[in-house]
Amino acid sequence: MTDVAITSTSTRSDVVPHGRTRAIGVLMIIVGVFSAWAFGLGSVADAHSAFTFTPVNVSSAVPWSLGQLTVLTRPTNLVLALLMIGLGVEVYVRRPSAPLVRFSIVAALFLIALLFWACRTPGPAQVPFVNLTSVLIGSSAIAMVLIYGSLSGVMCERAGVVNIAIEGQFIAGAFFGSMIDSTTHSFLLAALVGALSGAALGWILAFLAIRYLSDQIIVGVVIVTMMSGLSSYLNLQILTPYPNLNVGNIASNIGVPLLDKIPIIGPTLFNESGFFYLMAVLVAAVSFALFKTRWGLRVRAVGEHPQAAESVGINVARTRYRNVVLGGTIAGVGGVAFMATQGQFQVGYTSGLGYVALAALIFGRWKPSGAVVASIIFGLSAYLVNALQSYNVPLSSEIIGMFPYIITIAVVAGLIGRVRPPAADGVPYRRD
Amino acid sequence: MRVELRGITKRFGSFTANDAIDLIVEPGQIHCLLGENGAGKSTLMNIVFGLMRADEGEILLDNQPVRFSNSGDAVRRGIGMVHQHFMLVPVFSVAENVVLGFEPTKSLGRLDRRRAHSEIRALSEKFGLEVDPEALVENLPVGLQQRVEILKALSHDAELLILDEPTAVLTPQEIDSLMDIMRSLADDGKSILFITHKLKEVRAVGDVITVIRQGKIIDSVPPTRSEGELASLMVGRDVNLKVTKEAVHAGDPVLELRDVVVRDDRGITVVKGVSLDVRSGEILAIAGVQGNGQTELVEAIAGLRRVESGTITLGGRDVTNRTPRQILDAGLGHVPEDRQRDGLVLSMSVEDNLVLNTSRRAPFARRGTRNLAAVTANAEELAQRFDVRTTSVKSPTGSLSGGNQQKVIVARELSRPLTCFIAAQPTRGLDVGSIEYVHRQIVEQRNGGLGVLIVSSELDEVLALGDRIAVLFDGGVMGVVEPTMSREEIGMLMAGVGPS
Ligand SMILES: Nc1ncnc2c1ncn2[C@@H]1O[C@H](COP(=O)(O)OP(=O)(O)OP(=O)(O)O)[C@@H](O)[C@H]1O
Ligand SMILES: [Mg+2]
Repeated sequence: MTDVAITSTSTRSDVVPHGRTRAIGVLMIIVGVFSAWAFGLGSVADAHSAFTFTPVNVSSAVPWSLGQLTVLTRPTNLVLALLMIGLGVEVYVRRPSAPLVRFSIVAALFLIALLFWACRTPGPAQVPFVNLTSVLIGSSAIAMVLIYGSLSGVMCERAGVVNIAIEGQFIAGAFFGSMIDSTTHSFLLAALVGALSGAALGWILAFLAIRYLSDQIIVGVVIVTMMSGLSSYLNLQILTPYPNLNVGNIASNIGVPLLDKIPIIGPTLFNESGFFYLMAVLVAAVSFALFKTRWGLRVRAVGEHPQAAESVGINVARTRYRNVVLGGTIAGVGGVAFMATQGQFQVGYTSGLGYVALAALIFGRWKPSGAVVASIIFGLSAYLVNALQSYNVPLSSEIIGMFPYIITIAVVAGLIGRVRPPAADGVPYRRD
Repeated sequence: MRVELRGITKRFGSFTANDAIDLIVEPGQIHCLLGENGAGKSTLMNIVFGLMRADEGEILLDNQPVRFSNSGDAVRRGIGMVHQHFMLVPVFSVAENVVLGFEPTKSLGRLDRRRAHSEIRALSEKFGLEVDPEALVENLPVGLQQRVEILKALSHDAELLILDEPTAVLTPQEIDSLMDIMRSLADDGKSILFITHKLKEVRAVGDVITVIRQGKIIDSVPPTRSEGELASLMVGRDVNLKVTKEAVHAGDPVLELRDVVVRDDRGITVVKGVSLDVRSGEILAIAGVQGNGQTELVEAIAGLRRVESGTITLGGRDVTNRTPRQILDAGLGHVPEDRQRDGLVLSMSVEDNLVLNTSRRAPFARRGTRNLAAVTANAEELAQRFDVRTTSVKSPTGSLSGGNQQKVIVARELSRPLTCFIAAQPTRGLDVGSIEYVHRQIVEQRNGGLGVLIVSSELDEVLALGDRIAVLFDGGVMGVVEPTMSREEIGMLMAGVGPS
């Protein structure tokens, strides 16, 4: 039946209607106008926002102190809003073929303006100042987990299997990771076991998708549902009665000599846990392997046109198995990494991060580097959701929580240039 | 390499595609396979290449029985294949496609792109098949994709070369050079299995011709048989190989192109101000070497590509840069050049493909619900009329043979009310019997007052069908001439040499 599976149908760049690029320009302008109105004019004229940069927890270790920066909220936010509007107008008028970068900048500016507005004095928040370095550290913790998840997605989807089960693999990794770390006090062992549990779930997905040609989305959702049920059952049966199985250590940070002394980015990027550095290595390794090596060429061929891959002797099923299991492994480690930043396993505490990671994968156009950019923006917005709650701002955090999804919808709708998944992504492949 | 097939049988469900086939190809032999659309030629070749497994029978290479578990094994045993539906990854470059599965590498398993590129250049040079190794396959017109597919098969020094309709979209010159390549490979002792529907080619290059009908071998004959004899052996009846046309009664223009400028995917202007009229009741044929803008021009008319400047008027209405649906609804029938990409949804049934662009309308839909009985009835009638061979109109279209897929598109487009019919390679991959039928249909539509625009790399088809012939060169019209003009003169125009 080699002929039957859908062969790629590609849309050509010309086919993307120009109106869509215009639409995204309009969207950017609307976001800018909204920011001007809500965050600029929404603050009283003499309101100001204050920031500090010296990280609280490691302040003794850094040889610098940047003091405090105070800006007038209204004019600052109006300038930021003008920038957004300007970028929107540019996209509307010049219709660049790939407005993704401009769109990402507008998204980031929006979040920054929101932060300025939320922490202004006088205002409802009553925060004397916001520690910007802490914001970045907090966001990078979430971004790290998202990157693990979206890398897992890249591995699977580049080979043509949709991995919706990332959330389930996170849960498994976090659950077993916590148990192992609590008993052995070794995050290395925890990571290994988390990796194994993710790999096992990946194997189940691969087995059902490849052997039985099941719908990958459904299998993925089933795996997530199963894991959330299972984890809450096991939590009740094992972790609750034996609390020393779930003590919730946080992985300690390892500073990179010298680099960790750089203001702001030092504490954010170079004083992190081993999981963070492992993530960085994985991003580089996956990028390299996918786009520079023979292995990557074959994987991509399988994800784009399995019949063609088969016709030159590439084993489609084996490639897919291997990648989905590897992807599961990465997501499993991601679950442990999450637990190592959040502490104690709790039922449901991954709170859909696995799905956000999928969104980051799409926003990042199935590329590791793109997924990193998307994860940073999503991580920032996820962190702000929590921060705003503690600032007490009169804005529902659920609304901000929608942010990653809204921009993902914009991306998937093709508003921001052309997003093209691997042509055979999610399509079961059957040999004769 | 000596190839022997013994009792190869292949069934799809209750349907037998290959029925106890015995076949021997001697070293140095060019063995042609002839057969109607759906006779089972591609199936047989896929079995030899290890892409499909036979239900019964065995394959012997140099008298050794072999069992391939995949086509990588076949390639390693010295078999190369040009697939009827190209096995190319659209988003990969030409070089990546050619080396896929057998990539040159540096340390750490890194792809050696530089070496891949120089290997492709050397191959191109050796066989006279010019193509840019760095171009993305999806940006190439089918004619060039065909070259890539041929290069890929030639790149492993195969001892047995399987060519499944390699000439369907090649220009006459390219066909000649491919035949030279085949001859010289055969002289080196390589064996070749060659499938084509063009009887002229079979007679020019074949050593033996084996005819397959409904999965069975009918006969093996020498290439000295006449085209007429071959045709009737194939179809089992006499075929009229000549198109008979009544005198033309052209009316008002139905399709008017004025200074149309179109860019290709890379942004290069490839249609440079084309002005043409297609009048009702006439067939205008476009001749030209592939890559001179015809692909993009047709896509622009069908609304699949942006018109940068100029206007396109269909039946008196300006349809420049309208959506494909608006243009189709305005009465354009369109047979695209790449049937699997632009013409069909392969995973959908034949009956649904036959109403792809009419399913919203009566009688196929009423108040937003589909009338499935009408869809099936329509499909059965069209399958009968256009001789679409399928076990059921509910089968997925991807399971049809290549020629039958083409018939589905032609049937769909010619069965709705049209003002203008535009077809790129309308008979690509059709057997002689079906070509006869499709040509007659086109001529009848033209007699009924339809304007027809045909683009074909087949000069014979252009000369046989065209009431006027427009020659395209480098994105411009070299001239519009009568079909009585000699092939040589038209050939000159196609090469960009104007009448002195
Ligand atoms: N995967 C499949 N499932 C079901 N039927 C199939 C499948 N592949 C081929 N067939 C059927 O087998 C028959 C032979 O098909 P095949 O592609 O070998 O024909 P062909 O001789 O190559 O024709 P053409 O000249 O049109 O290319 C056709 O009737 C086709 O419908
Ligand atoms: Mg065929």
